Order: sequence, then structure tokens, then C-alpha cells
Amino acid sequence: MRCERCGVELTNKIIKINDVPYCENCARLMGYGKFLRNPEEMLGSAFSPFDEIASTIMQMSDLDFGNSALSCPKCGMTLRDFEKKGRLGCIECYNTFNDYIVKEMFKQQGVSTYGGRMPGRTAELPGLEKIDAPSAKKEDINLETETADKPEEPVAQKEPEAPAAEEGGAELLAKLAKADLGMLSDEELENGIKLAAANEDYILASKLRDELKGRKEGN
Amino acid sequence: MKIWYEKEGRDEDVVLSTKACIVRNIKGYNFPSKMDEKDANSLLKKVDSVIDRNVFSGGMATDIISSGDTATLMKAQVSGRDGSLLFAPDRKAIYYTEDYSLSIAVGNSEHLTIKAQAAGHDISIYRRAEKAAVELEKKLDIAYSEKYGFLTSSVKLTGTGLKILYTVAIPAIAKTEGGIAALRQRVGQYEWTIYPFAEQGELNESSVYIIASVSTLGVSEEEILARGEMLIEDVIKAERACREQLATKKKTQMQDLYGRAYGLMRFATLMSRREALDSICWLRLFRDYDDSCEFDCKWKMLNMITQEVCWEQQRRGEINTQTAQKQRAERIRKILKGDD
Repeated sequence: MRCERCGVELTNKIIKINDVPYCENCARLMGYGKFLRNPEEMLGSAFSPFDEIASTIMQMSDLDFGNSALSCPKCGMTLRDFEKKGRLGCIECYNTFNDYIVKEMFKQQGVSTYGGRMPGRTAELPGLEKIDAPSAKKEDINLETETADKPEEPVAQKEPEAPAAEEGGAELLAKLAKADLGMLSDEELENGIKLAAANEDYILASKLRDELKGRKEGN
Repeated sequence: MKIWYEKEGRDEDVVLSTKACIVRNIKGYNFPSKMDEKDANSLLKKVDSVIDRNVFSGGMATDIISSGDTATLMKAQVSGRDGSLLFAPDRKAIYYTEDYSLSIAVGNSEHLTIKAQAAGHDISIYRRAEKAAVELEKKLDIAYSEKYGFLTSSVKLTGTGLKILYTVAIPAIAKTEGGIAALRQRVGQYEWTIYPFAEQGELNESSVYIIASVSTLGVSEEEILARGEMLIEDVIKAERACREQLATKKKTQMQDLYGRAYGLMRFATLMSRREALDSICWLRLFRDYDDSCEFDCKWKMLNMITQEVCWEQQRRGEINTQTAQKQRAERIRKILKGDD
């Protein structure tokens, strides 16, 4: 069995929310941490277990929206059907079950707002060519080249090309922010610190600096 | 015309295929699970009237079944792994291009499922799927809300309705202690998911995994694609590094297993799916490190075998196990001989 949210294999601890299995980490991220207290925490106070149990029961009943007899006036889909199958019957269901759908969206994706393209329009993918071009056979992140290229750009040409250059830097910073720092070389870390500082991303710069410092002290 | 996976692909030593799936629904109709027969027929006719017949062939699923094209659709990964797109055929239609790389399924779990697929690592297929989707969006009244984006029957797809999937063969990571667990963690950091091609049965140890996007809300298509690309490049690098480790540290054993696997695949008369995929794992692991140059074993060949074994139609009851194994072995021999 796997976690519906992150796909991790569930072994020791399986948390089921409305019959959907999640791992402990995802359950906590989705805001159900309060239901997942360790027994030791509850044993801290003599009366706390009763309070915890009572509040948990109250909050769990709040979650069990399948008890409702609410149904869609257009397709006849009931809330219980939706809870069981995870599928809606028609577009009108979005209005009928709006609150529950938003809850479901939060549970599964952590957000309920749309960030994609409009119908009939293509997505803005300035990076697609960029994404498509480099092969993973080539060098990973060539910080030297990317940072060294910037000052060489003629000032006259810099203006129209500025967004692309910014995006490249931002993309690289985003990569660094997500990268496993242990996988980066010292040189890449040093260049990353410079790039992050130049872009005023001081949190990332300090993270990279700490990693580099840790390595040097380790040596 | 070759099927899409018979073509060359980038990073094909690790990535078997890249797929982009976009789902859409049409206003005025219930979602398929709540659609009556009349509406189902009306939907099929409506979509059929806007399909560009210069690009797509196919049509009603009933016609496809009677034409006997189901095995090819299955092999080309158009009709679903279990052929589910052809269940309840009177309510469904499938349109596909000549090489099956682009398809539009009508009346499955959502009204429209647009799928573009390519061999190897090729995210440009997103553009193909998007182009087909945009054309349909212009011609049909698509269910869309400014708040939630494209409305779908499954709340998991509401928003962009887009899923990107990379099918990867990662035997070295799978054979490295803690490799898959570390990879899962990394994939989770990108808010993507990874799962084995099959969790049970003959294929459960195939070392073939699917890495798929999860988010359809709160992210743009650009972000989904960019994250996927960063992630897949990480996976490719990790798999190659693990292969290098295995090939250098255990060269003799690896060479031996490589040669045995090649011999088995090249000359066996009967071959189970598990045996085939296990042999491919060893070929994949040592292929780039074999300096004997005695075996003609191209990545394209290995990928074709993997795809065919993974996606072969299970004709339960139609042929016995021995016949199935014999046909499989013949097919593999043919591919390895370069006759295909």
C-alpha cells in the first residue's frame, strides 16, 4: 500500500483519512498532526488523555462528511458516493459540494487555487527550449559558465535580454535551493554562494556557506 | 510506420519513455460515470465531428475491436495497461496518430484524455499534447472555472488536468542498498511521486519505475515541466553513477551475468516475463562497460524488449503458458538479431 499523496510505501504506520491511506509525514503536512500524538505525550498529564480523546472524537466527526445526505441536483451524486469513489458526477457537483471539494483539494495537493493556463491558449513555457536542450550526459550545473557569462553581455544588448538572464539566474537558484547540497562540489558551492548573494537570497547563501564550512572543518 | 517507442530517444539508457496526459471535460454533459447512453452517444458524435481526420485515425472503440487492432493499441500503450480503454466500448472512442505517439480517448474516466508519448527523455511531447488540447478547447465548450481551472471528475486532476510521466529503468539504483528509498525522498522533494511499474506478479522486480507529477493546482504547466526536468536529470545521473560503481567494483561478476543474460535472451526457446526482465536488467547494467564488443545489444533493442514485455497483452485462456513463453522468446530473439 502506498501513500496517496507522496507515493511512499506504507509499512509500519498507515493513516487513513476518509479511507484514503497516507504516510505519517503527509498526514501531518495536511494538518492532521493533532490527531497523531504519541502515547507518551498524552501520558504527560493525568487528565489529558480524556481531553485528547474527547477533542479528537469531536474533530474526527467534523471530518466524516460522508454522513451528510447532500446530493447534486443535476446528476444525483451524493456526498457519500463522492467520498467513496473520489469522483464527481458533473460540473454542478463543484457547486453542490464546494466546501468538501476544497477540503479534498487541500488534503491531496495542499492548495485549491489554479495556477495554469486558460482554455484555448498555450502555456507560457519560455524554458521549454532550455529544458529540452541540455542532455543529462553533459555536466550537471555549470555555475562557472552561467555566472561568468553575465558580465560579458554588452550593456546595449542587456536590456532586451534581461528577463531571460534573470530567469536563468532564478532557475539556477531554484535548482540550488532544492539540490542535495552534499552532491555539489566545493567549487559549485562557492559559485552558488556568490550567485545567491548577488540575487540577495541570503538564506540560500548562508545554507551553502554552512555546507562549505562544515566540509572544511570536517577535513 | 514505426511505433513511437521503436524510435531513438535521448537518455534512453535510463528513460524508456516520456508521456504527457491532459484531461478535459465538455460542458453540458455529466462526467462519464454519471452519463446515460444518449449523452454518451451524443458526446462521441460531438467529439468525432471536431477530430482532425488528416492527423488521427481510429474512432469508435467497437470498430477498433472488430478490426482486431487491440493488440497493437495495447503494445503502443494507447489503450491502458489492462486495455481498460476498450471496456464498455460502445461508450468510448480512441483516435490516434500513425505512430500512436498522440492519442485522444473519449468517454473514459474523463470526457477527453489526450496523451502524447515519446521514446526516451523528451519533454517536448508536452507541446504535442497541448497543441491537440488547445485545438479541442477552441472547438468545444470545455468545463473550466477561473478558480479551479479545468474541471474534472477526479479531484486529483482538477486544475491543469496535466500529468507528466517518465518511465525509467533503474536496475542499479534498485540493486544499491537504500537506493530506492533515497530516490523516493528526492522525488518527494519535488512534489512528484515514484512507483514501480508493477507491485505484484511477474513484473514486480522489473526495476522499471514510473515517476509522475502529482500537483495540478497551485502550479503552472511551466513549473510542472521544470520540476520534472530537474528531477529526471537527477535520476539519470544517480542511475549512471550507481551503474559505474557496480561495473567497476564487481566487474568480473557483472561481465559474467551480462554474458549469461545475453545468451539466454538471444538463444532461449521459452522465456517468462520475469526471466526476460531480469536478463534485461543485467544487460542494462553492464552494456556501457562491456569492452569485449562481442554482443550487438543496442539501447533501442533493450528498450523495445522492455516495453513489449511490460505492455504485452495478457490473453488469458486464449493460449497456454508455454505458447506465450515461446512467442515471447521468438520476439526477443528477433529484436536482438536486428530483424525488427
